[in-house]
Amino acid sequence: MATIQVSEAEKVYIMHGVRDDSRVDGRGCEDYRHMEIETDVVSNTDGSAKVSLGQTDILVGIKAEIGRPRPMVPDEGYLEFFVDCSANATPEFEGRGGEELGVELSNNLYKVFNNRHSLDLRSLCIRPGENCWVLYVDVLLLQCDGNLFDAMSIAIKAALFNTRIPNVHISEDEEGGKEIELSDDPYDCMRLNVENVPCIVTLCKIGHRHVVDATLQEKSCSVASLLISVTHKGTVTCVRKLGGGSLDPDSIFEMTETGKRVGKMLHVPLMELLQKEENLGRERTKVGFLA
Amino acid sequence: MPVDTKRIRGPELSQSPLLFVSPVSEVSSSSSSSRQGVRGNGDVRPVFARCGLVSQAKGSAYLEAGNTKIICSVYGPRETERKDETDMKSGRLVCDFRLAPFSCPKRGAWIQGAEERDLSAALAESLQPGACLHRYPRAQVDVNVVVLENDGSVLAHAVTCASMALADAGIEMYDMVLGCALRQDGERCLVDPDLAEEQSGAGENQGRVAVALLPNLNQISGLQADGEMREDTLTAAVRTCVEGCHKLYPVVQQAILRAVKKKAPPPPEK
Amino acid sequence: MSPMKLCVPGERLCSVEDCTPGAGTYLRHGSVFASLAGYVLRRNEGEELPVISVVKETEAQLLPDVGAIVTCKVTSINPRFAKVHILYVGSTPLKDRFRGTIRKEDVRATEKDKVETYKSFRPGDIVLAKVISLGDVQSNYLLTTAENELGVVVAHSEAGVQMVPISWCEMQCPRTHNKEFRKVARVQPEYLQA
Repeated sequence: MATIQVSEAEKVYIMHGVRDDSRVDGRGCEDYRHMEIETDVVSNTDGSAKVSLGQTDILVGIKAEIGRPRPMVPDEGYLEFFVDCSANATPEFEGRGGEELGVELSNNLYKVFNNRHSLDLRSLCIRPGENCWVLYVDVLLLQCDGNLFDAMSIAIKAALFNTRIPNVHISEDEEGGKEIELSDDPYDCMRLNVENVPCIVTLCKIGHRHVVDATLQEKSCSVASLLISVTHKGTVTCVRKLGGGSLDPDSIFEMTETGKRVGKMLHVPLMELLQKEENLGRERTKVGFLA
Repeated sequence: MPVDTKRIRGPELSQSPLLFVSPVSEVSSSSSSSRQGVRGNGDVRPVFARCGLVSQAKGSAYLEAGNTKIICSVYGPRETERKDETDMKSGRLVCDFRLAPFSCPKRGAWIQGAEERDLSAALAESLQPGACLHRYPRAQVDVNVVVLENDGSVLAHAVTCASMALADAGIEMYDMVLGCALRQDGERCLVDPDLAEEQSGAGENQGRVAVALLPNLNQISGLQADGEMREDTLTAAVRTCVEGCHKLYPVVQQAILRAVKKKAPPPPEK
Repeated sequence: MSPMKLCVPGERLCSVEDCTPGAGTYLRHGSVFASLAGYVLRRNEGEELPVISVVKETEAQLLPDVGAIVTCKVTSINPRFAKVHILYVGSTPLKDRFRGTIRKEDVRATEKDKVETYKSFRPGDIVLAKVISLGDVQSNYLLTTAENELGVVVAHSEAGVQMVPISWCEMQCPRTHNKEFRKVARVQPEYLQA
C-alpha cells in the first residue's frame, strides 16, 4: 500500500492528539474528511461517479454487458470488480507495483458485495440460464491519501445509483430462435435499487482509541485496522481485520459498534445528496476533475 | 495440437455434475440440538493434532477436525528472496495456502487461485502478531499449508495448524495462535461448521465468522466476517469463537509438548 | 528427580522478580513468558536471581547478528570485495545458506589502502570473520577480518594440499613449498572446537 515515512516524534504527536479526541486536521475521532461526490462524470459508461475524500480521489465507472449467468445461480446476474492502482496516484504503483494492492482491494470488494441483499441480482437477469447483465465495476485510484476502502465503497454506491441499464426486449422468430433487442431510447432504462448497498467504514486503532477515515499519516501510527461494511439498516455485511497487528476483543466490540453507528449515519446524507443531484437534471453544472 | 477427426469428442463445454444435485436439505431437518447426531451447536469437532511429521521441514503439523484435514510445514529462517525496505528490521512471514485439487467437492486447479491467495494473506495477517519476527532480521520464514480435505472451517484450522508448526520449528513466538470459525444461521449459531453447514441457509441474519486468537495475551489477531448480521449478533459470534479457541488450547498444547518430548530427552540439570 | 517442566509459547513462567529472562523467553507486563516450546530451565549463575530459559532439543536457529563471529567459505573474489557463504554462527551450523561480503577495506586493520583481495583470500578458503552490519536492501551481510584472530583458517594450495600458516600474511604448501599470500588468522583455542 502507498505509505509515507512518519518520524517517531510525529507519531507520538498524532497518538496524543487522538487520545484527546483532536486530530492533526482538527477532526474528532469519528469525523470524516470533507467529501465531494459527482455522478455521471464519464459519458461512455452506464454509470459513473467520482468521490474525493480529503486528498483521496476515486473514479468508478460501471459498464453493463450481456453475459451468461453463472451455472450455480441461473437466475441472477453478477458484478465484476477491478481496481486499478494507476501510477498517477503514486510512482510506487508504476508497472506491476499496484497490482498486489489492486487485487487485495478488489477481493475485499467481492466479499463486501457477496450477499444476496446488497443488490438485487435477480433484476439483472434477462433470461434464466441464458443471458444476464454483468456489471463491470472498474475503480480507478487517482490520488491516495488513506482510507481507500471507504471512499471506494461510497463511489461504487454512487455509481450504481447512477447506472442506467437499457431495457431489453426479447423477440422470437418462427424457428424459435430468440433475439435480444436493446432499447435505443436513452430514457427507456432500468435503474438499480441501491438502498441496501453497504458502505465500508475503516477504523484504525491508534493508541487506545480508534479513528474513522485515517489519513496516510495516521495510518502509519496504527498496526491494525478493522474494515466494517454496514448497510443503511445497520446490518454488518463484512468485517476484516487488516494489518499486521492484533486487537483485544473489547476494542473489537467497541470498533464494530462505532463502525455501525458511523456507517448508518453515512447512508442518509449520501442518498439525499445523490437524489438532489439527480433532481437538478440537465441544468447541473458539471465540475469534473478540476474541483 | 492436431485434432483427431476420428474421435468423437465430448461437448466443448462441460459442467460439474454437482450443479444438478439438489442442495442438501438434511441440515435444516437436524435443526435440533445435535449435529451429525453427536455434537451440539456450540461444540467444536473433536480435533486430532500432531507435530513433526514432515522430517525434511524445520517444523510441521497435521490437524484433523472431523473431515477437515490440514498439513503444514515451516521452513527457515533463511535469506529472503525479495528485499524490501521493511525487511531490514524484522523478518518476513511468507504464507502459502493451498487447497489440494481434490480437497473440495469440485475439483480445483493446481495453480493458486484468487481464493487461495486471499486465504494466504489472511493466514499471514493472523500469524504475524504471534511471531517474534524482530528476532529474525533480514530473514524469512516460510509457512506452507495444504488442505488435504476441506470439510469446512479451513481458515480457522489452518491458523491453528500453522502456529503449531511454527512452535515445532522453534520459531520464537509471543503466543500460540488458535483459530475458530462459526456459522450464524438466523438465531442458531453453529460453531466449527462443516462444509454443508457452511453453505446452507437463507434468510435474515446469515453469516460466517472466523477468529484467530492469541489465548494468553487475549488478543484477536485475525477476524473475518461475511454475510449479513446485526451488530449484536456479530459481537456474540466473536465471543463464541473466542470461547471455541480456548477449547482447542489443551489439545494443541499436548500435541506440541508430545513432539518436544519425542525429539529429545530433558536436558541435564546443571 | 521430578520430570522437567515443559511449556509452549505464550505460557507465563514466572514474575520478573523471581527470575531473569533468558533465551527462549520474553518479558511483558512484569512477567516472563515462554517464546519457544521446550523444557524450562532455571539456572543459578552466582547472581541474585536465577536465569530462566526455555530450551529445545537442538540449539535454536541462530541468525548472523552484528558482532557475531562467523565461519564462512569464500565463493568468489574481485578487486573490491570477496563474496562468502556463511556456514556457522559461533559454533552453530546454519541450515540455510546466507551470503556475506568482505569488502577490501575490512580485510585488515592497518594499511587498509594497500589491501589486495587476491593476496588475502582465494575461493574455497575457510575464513573466520565478524559481522559488522546486516547490510542494506542491495547488499548482503557485511563482514570484517580486521582483527588478529580473524582471517583465513583453512586454505588449499594450487597442488590441492592444505597449507600451513607461516606468518600473518603467508601460508606455505607442505608439498611444493610454494608460498601464497593470505590474511591468516591467529586461531584462538576457543574457536578450535567449532
